[in-house]
Amino acid sequence: MFYRLSGIKPVSYAADAQLWPVPFDRSLVAVIIVLAVAAPYVLPSLYLGSYLLPWIIWATAALSLNLLMGWAGQIHLGFAAVMAIGAYGAIHLVRAGLPFELALLGAGLLSALIGLVFGAAALRVKGLYLAVSTLAMQYMIDWVISHVPAISGGSQATLQTPTIRLLGLPVVSEAGYYWTALAICILVTAFMLNVERTSFGRALVAVREKDFAAAIIGVNAFYYKLAAFWVSSFLGGVSGAILAFCYYRAVTPEQFHLDVSIQAVAMVIVGGMGSVLGSFLGAGLVLLAPIVLNNLVVLAVRWLDLSLPSEIVALIPLILYGGLIVGFLLLEPLGLAKVYDNVRKYFLAWPFRNVQR
Amino acid sequence: MDIAFLLELSANGILIGLMYALIALGIVLIFKSSGIANLAQGAMAMVGAYVAWALLVLAGMPLWLAIPLSLAIMFFFGTGIERVALRPMVGQPVIMVVMLTLGLEILLRGLAPAIFGTAIKRLDLGIPQAPIIVGPVLINTAYLVSGAVALGLVLLSIMFFGTRLGTVLRAVSDDQMASWSVGIFVERAIGLSWGLAGVAAAFGGILWGSVQGVDWTLSLLLIKALAIAILGGLDSIPGVLIAGVIIGVLESVVPAFLDPHVGGGTRDVVASLVILLTVILRPHGLFGREDIERV
Amino acid sequence: MVKIGLAQDFTAVYTFVTSDYNQGQRDYFTLINERGGIDGYTLQVDVVDTANQPQRGIEAYERMKNDGVVLVDFLSTPVSRAVVPRALKDQVNMMTIMHGRSDAADGETFPFIFPMSPLYWSQAASIVKYIADQENGDLKGKKIAFVGIDSPFGREPLPIFQALADKEGFELSIFHYPSPGNEQSATWTSVRRVRPDWTIIWGAGVGQTVSLREAIRNGIKLDRLVSNAWLSEVDTEIAGREAAKGVLRFEGVAYGKDLPIIQAIENEVVAKGKSAGPAEKVGSSYYNIGVAGAALVVEGIRHALEKAPGKLAGPQLKAGLESIANFDAQGLMPPVTISARDHQGGGKGRICQWDGTRWVPKTDWYAASQDLVWELVRKTAQEFKASGN
Repeated sequence: MFYRLSGIKPVSYAADAQLWPVPFDRSLVAVIIVLAVAAPYVLPSLYLGSYLLPWIIWATAALSLNLLMGWAGQIHLGFAAVMAIGAYGAIHLVRAGLPFELALLGAGLLSALIGLVFGAAALRVKGLYLAVSTLAMQYMIDWVISHVPAISGGSQATLQTPTIRLLGLPVVSEAGYYWTALAICILVTAFMLNVERTSFGRALVAVREKDFAAAIIGVNAFYYKLAAFWVSSFLGGVSGAILAFCYYRAVTPEQFHLDVSIQAVAMVIVGGMGSVLGSFLGAGLVLLAPIVLNNLVVLAVRWLDLSLPSEIVALIPLILYGGLIVGFLLLEPLGLAKVYDNVRKYFLAWPFRNVQR
Repeated sequence: MDIAFLLELSANGILIGLMYALIALGIVLIFKSSGIANLAQGAMAMVGAYVAWALLVLAGMPLWLAIPLSLAIMFFFGTGIERVALRPMVGQPVIMVVMLTLGLEILLRGLAPAIFGTAIKRLDLGIPQAPIIVGPVLINTAYLVSGAVALGLVLLSIMFFGTRLGTVLRAVSDDQMASWSVGIFVERAIGLSWGLAGVAAAFGGILWGSVQGVDWTLSLLLIKALAIAILGGLDSIPGVLIAGVIIGVLESVVPAFLDPHVGGGTRDVVASLVILLTVILRPHGLFGREDIERV
Repeated sequence: MVKIGLAQDFTAVYTFVTSDYNQGQRDYFTLINERGGIDGYTLQVDVVDTANQPQRGIEAYERMKNDGVVLVDFLSTPVSRAVVPRALKDQVNMMTIMHGRSDAADGETFPFIFPMSPLYWSQAASIVKYIADQENGDLKGKKIAFVGIDSPFGREPLPIFQALADKEGFELSIFHYPSPGNEQSATWTSVRRVRPDWTIIWGAGVGQTVSLREAIRNGIKLDRLVSNAWLSEVDTEIAGREAAKGVLRFEGVAYGKDLPIIQAIENEVVAKGKSAGPAEKVGSSYYNIGVAGAALVVEGIRHALEKAPGKLAGPQLKAGLESIANFDAQGLMPPVTISARDHQGGGKGRICQWDGTRWVPKTDWYAASQDLVWELVRKTAQEFKASGN
């Protein structure tokens, strides 16, 4: 963070439009990618399997939802249902004998197709009314999944994911799952970074700011709203499939209920709408904060030798978690990405205080 | 078709719809003044029920004292939330503020059971368990009382918006800037609407709590209430009443005939379909005001 | 030292049972520790909240596994189901007493999963057996209504009920209310309409409370209303102690304090202020289920240490649990015998009745239609096996 922007003087359009014009950014990204790829060799398997792995998968999902909420400005309270379609679709396709790579694509297409139906509602309404239409869709998809045993898997309503084979190689180890998820995460992140720079992304932003105004300047709001739903649902379906195959490995309908949708929305909002970095930070906070808080409180209680009833020990992290969300939003309503930005700007001029926040 | 059966389903459906409307009323009151959907309304109902239980059972107060007192406490609870958490957020994007209320919901859902104890509590309002029997139709007494209270409260709210104070609230909901410029204390008006929402939540929480017992699950009423508020139109109080009745009746009648054929509870699906259709046919709810958007 | 992981749901769906159950488990472990442990081994319990979220359950499981726990208990069906494949792979024992996959009773397919209690299918069979006994063995033409929550859990017993309906000739009508079941009036209007001779309720938590209240309101005879194991004095308290008089439930673990093992806890744990929760919970329905589970685990550890002294990891404890024979925790539960094939332990339970202040047993411990139950267990276990590849 201690770097200057001075000396960055693009002399061509290509140089000006590149993703990371600052050399420091480029090396930072390279270091992060190297670290991420090397993680299985460095991190203990506990942290790899139950912190980093769900984090990157949920960050992928949050990115997909952020495309819709942050860039296109459409609220979606049924994203878990979209992910569920992807997860169940992929499992059934793999079982039907399709290779995993194709099944992933198929799952994405299936989610995108059904996600378009959600999008149809968005053509009529916006804001909270859209939120409730998507909520209704969530209920309907939940219902179908849990009431059709052929989808949810018999009387126990649990499906184990088949072993996946990538390019013919079976993926069995924790590291293998992690790398699979990481590859998808990097692909989606790269896509999202580029969305900002393309005409597609700019059109989405125009629709978000004011769809009528966008229509006047020649942006087909109808088309771009549907396109946003299509792309976001596709990516959501893929991340749902990855979540099922690489992390849960056994799928039940409860894993994609309404509270999961709300968690996904929370990730996007707490992280920062329309921010790639924010999706990672938001996913980290919403997913990991309850776990970390819980472990800290349990440790603290044991360390201080307090004799509190277990239920109180369990409720304290919940209170802290709620307080954390409220606190962050009161402190910085634009989300964690904005907090990061503030910190960065502060240090850009440090030790002077001449940067306006 | 069995007429008595249909009648009973509809009658109880209406009453249940009214009980849901009680929670939805709080959402509408806040939306009308500040344009925010309060996702903590269910949690506020839960707090209201806990407070009433604490006054009744822990403090041993009689019913006639405990209920008004808990309503008063919830009024100040509502204004307090507005003062502490919502006022600093004025001028921020709506979605952030909505998220904040969701954070509040999580906070309250942890806090209330931590203070009062997690075990489910019995809240006895002295409503007899025996049903009222009208011909072949059995009507749930608790629902009848609750429905009547809900109806009364909604009518009272409609009347309230005719008074001077209500006019102030309407003005604030129309245009906050313009209200400021004509000397209306906008913050205080919004605070008042939160207080009233607190009272509605207390009513809802106490009545639902007497039916299902008091614990954190009361906060789950939010989803149904939100659906009703939106179906009726987020800024329409009569809309809440009518949407509540429609959802209540459909949820009660349709599954009774459909369930045996599909093998499963179709109630939430029926409600979802109704909402979806309404949104597609009438995008601003049944009675909501359609804002004209200008570029 | 033996480590046991209790990652349970204290804040979301299972709040109605978790704290009592967890207190029972911990109090029994404390009792054993107070008495000097098992062959010098003390028990260490790790308690954490999962909020019924699979990802938090997985995290808790992985962390506990790293700590070297030999047995985990989630008391949450979704979390247990999500962790089953991992536990099988890591050879960590998972106790799923009164919850989780029913087909886990098949010890050959699920070597490390231990229900050790009557499966929902066994509960269903026992309830039908009780009803048949009350009707002098003849259920032909009788109407039985099933009112359950609309979730996989509420639909799980249906195959057994249907099979028994075909066999015994009773007429089964099925009603489902949507989850979580805080509002069921329309469902019960329909139930009343079929005029059932017997009614079976199948839910948990708030759904059971409301079912009970609605049954009372709709004039269903309570001594002809039978619940699965998830109905407790808390539900009757909220529906009204007197009003709920007569309601029946299946129980796999005895209720009350008049049991040697509960008395021992009272004297050696609660009296010393070492209980993990409020003293008035001791002896309640769900508390006793917790004690029963803990007692089975301790018995399993005892057997494991007898077989292989000084070595206690997942596989040893599995062998220990599988050699439990005729263990009834001094009358707390029916005699349980677990083998490498049968992780259910016999499927015995009994029917008891609420008399206005307490649950009174109406029958002896018995099991019913175990051949049917096992047919179903084998079938779904086979499906699970096939789905893993």
